[in-house]
Amino acid sequence: MARGGRGKLAYKILGWFLGISLVPMGFVGYLLVNVSQASLRKQTLSMQESLAVGFSDTVYKYVSTYGNVLAETSGLADFSTMNAAKQKQYLDRMLQVHMAVLELSVVDAQGVETLRVGRFLGPSPELRNVSNEEYFNTAITRGHYVGGLERFQGIYPTVTIASAILDSTQQPPKAVGVLVGKVSLNGLSSMLGMEFPPASRSSAAVVAPDGFLIADSDPKQVYKPDARLSDDILKIITTQMNDKGGGEIMLSDGSRLLGAYSDVKELGWVVYVQQPVEAAYQTATEMKKQIFQVLVWVVLVTVLLSLAVAGHITQPVRLLREAADRLGKGQFEDLPEVVTTNDEIGDLAQTFLGMSESLREKTGELVDAKTKLENYAKELNKRVEARTRELKAAQDELIKKERLAAIGQMASVVGHEIRNPLAVINNSIYFIKTKLGQAGEPDAKLAKHIKIIESEIQQANGIINEILTYSRQRELKPEHVSLNAWLEELLSVYPFPAHIKLEKMLDGANPMVDIDTTEMQQAVRNLIGNGIEVMPQQGTVRVRTALADGGTVAIEIGDTGPGIPPDVLDKIFAPFFTTKARGTGLGLAVVRKVMDRHRGRVDVESVVGRGTVFRLYLPVAQKAPGAAAVKV
Amino acid sequence: MSGHNKLPKLLIIDDDAHLRESLAEVLELDGFECHQAGAAQPGIEAAAKLDPDVVIMDIQLPDSSGFQICQELRKRSKATILIMMTGRFLSAEEKKQGFELGADEYMTKPFDLAELSVRIRQLLSRRQAEKA
Repeated sequence: MARGGRGKLAYKILGWFLGISLVPMGFVGYLLVNVSQASLRKQTLSMQESLAVGFSDTVYKYVSTYGNVLAETSGLADFSTMNAAKQKQYLDRMLQVHMAVLELSVVDAQGVETLRVGRFLGPSPELRNVSNEEYFNTAITRGHYVGGLERFQGIYPTVTIASAILDSTQQPPKAVGVLVGKVSLNGLSSMLGMEFPPASRSSAAVVAPDGFLIADSDPKQVYKPDARLSDDILKIITTQMNDKGGGEIMLSDGSRLLGAYSDVKELGWVVYVQQPVEAAYQTATEMKKQIFQVLVWVVLVTVLLSLAVAGHITQPVRLLREAADRLGKGQFEDLPEVVTTNDEIGDLAQTFLGMSESLREKTGELVDAKTKLENYAKELNKRVEARTRELKAAQDELIKKERLAAIGQMASVVGHEIRNPLAVINNSIYFIKTKLGQAGEPDAKLAKHIKIIESEIQQANGIINEILTYSRQRELKPEHVSLNAWLEELLSVYPFPAHIKLEKMLDGANPMVDIDTTEMQQAVRNLIGNGIEVMPQQGTVRVRTALADGGTVAIEIGDTGPGIPPDVLDKIFAPFFTTKARGTGLGLAVVRKVMDRHRGRVDVESVVGRGTVFRLYLPVAQKAPGAAAVKV
Repeated sequence: MSGHNKLPKLLIIDDDAHLRESLAEVLELDGFECHQAGAAQPGIEAAAKLDPDVVIMDIQLPDSSGFQICQELRKRSKATILIMMTGRFLSAEEKKQGFELGADEYMTKPFDLAELSVRIRQLLSRRQAEKA
């Protein structure tokens, strides 16, 4: 994680903080809004209902007032008997006093108008026969009438009120005519307009059961032809059983209203009060808004606070993590400073410091161990290489030995097989010689050839003997002898020719050696014989003994012959290698074999023109004699 | 069996016909009565019939080893001189074994015939002396 990043932990803490603070608050806010909405609804509805009830009373009184006004006049005891002029005085006065009264007329018992006055009728309006009108028939029979809603001048709602004119002279009084008035209902709209100003968002209306809009708090709604209450609302109101009530209304256009109604007694009209739900719930909406604002603030504060807290908590953890990263990469130096606060994180830091310390130690040990291991591996590698070289050499040696053994075996078989024919030839020539001898002195040339054959048989037999001797598997029989004494004896009986001079230089230490005298004698004799052979005119054979390295003693046999060229020098010990006209090439091979069997070795040094020196190295014997019985 | 007027009787057992013929004829010149056999079994039969003074046999024969013939012949007769012929070197153990089985002498091919003749006569006279 990059330095300065807040990290997952911080965001988790933030999430928890937000959850803890917002969920209960949101829940409470939701409940509060709901509760307030419910109570507001209830309150609003009851208020509207009481307003409707109150206004229905007002409407009733308003209409009753004009009914009374008419009844006062029509009920005058002498009104029926007054002349028309007198009646007109009354009627004019009523028009003057009551602005809402638009027209007044007096109708006689036959239903014919006898007098008619009106604000907009002119001085002598037409008198009509109204005997078929409902208001006339109702009033003449029942005494009074209210109804006949219409729009004056097609716009203004009016109501027709009629009251019977009674002849008080008869008992009981008898209706002799009807006083009819057309009363404007604009006053109701004015009152509603004052009661429900447009700003209040509430509105109210007075409506007839057929939907005729009698009054409305909004004048624009009522002062128009065919002004009606909307059918949605009308349907609801007219289907109610109670004479008052209220509830929430869903209009066909989707808007929601809180509406209340109250019947106007006797008139059958309905006062309807409504308020859009939004307006009714304005307080609740306001509350919602405020709660939301508070929530926003809470979120802001919580985020800032929790980031701060999370930062405070996670800072040491992040430092630890950084330190751990560095440790993981093996960087033990320059670790970030780990804060050790007095809490669980502090404990963690403490533990971490301890761990990093021990890790540093362990890593150091590991690195040391690795270095050591590498050194061991190198050493081991060297040893393995050295050993491999030795093994290779040994293997080469073994192969050579096996080859020599194979050659030896073959030589043995061949030698043996040749001995039989040789024996037959030998027998036959002996027979011939004997026969010739019995017959007298043989021919000289014949005798010479017989001698040649005999000599060649001897020669062949010698070669076979040499080969068989070389290849013979014979058990070594070592003897514990003084080297000098043994050599002295050997040299004393060796038939040196006269032209050869012998030089002896035997070491004064006079070491003891364990040797098979027969084989060792053969080796030394072969070397001396070779030396003599290469010096046919004259020369010196030098025999020396000298202590050498590694607990060995060397027998040196040198000559002053022509020397051996270097290219020949490394082949001279190979069996059957020879430079002589007649020779098996086994002389030096026997020397080497003998030295091998004695756990010694032979080497040669030669300078062409000056001579050759062979050295036979033998182990100096330990004190116990005869212990080194070696079988090869 | 041998008398002054009688030649010493000699049986040669060898699978090499040239060798046994040449050897027989040389020894006949030297005054021996020589018989021959080419293998072990005919050799043993001939010995039973002839009762020879000397038997010269090769150590390696096609049907048997010379040592076995040696043992067989020695069982029949203590007096017969048994000489083993060989073309190879014998180890000390082999020689010892042969002597124990009754062999009197070893000879390596090719032979010095003069020496062989003398050696046989020596052994014969020694055996003669033992008898007497």
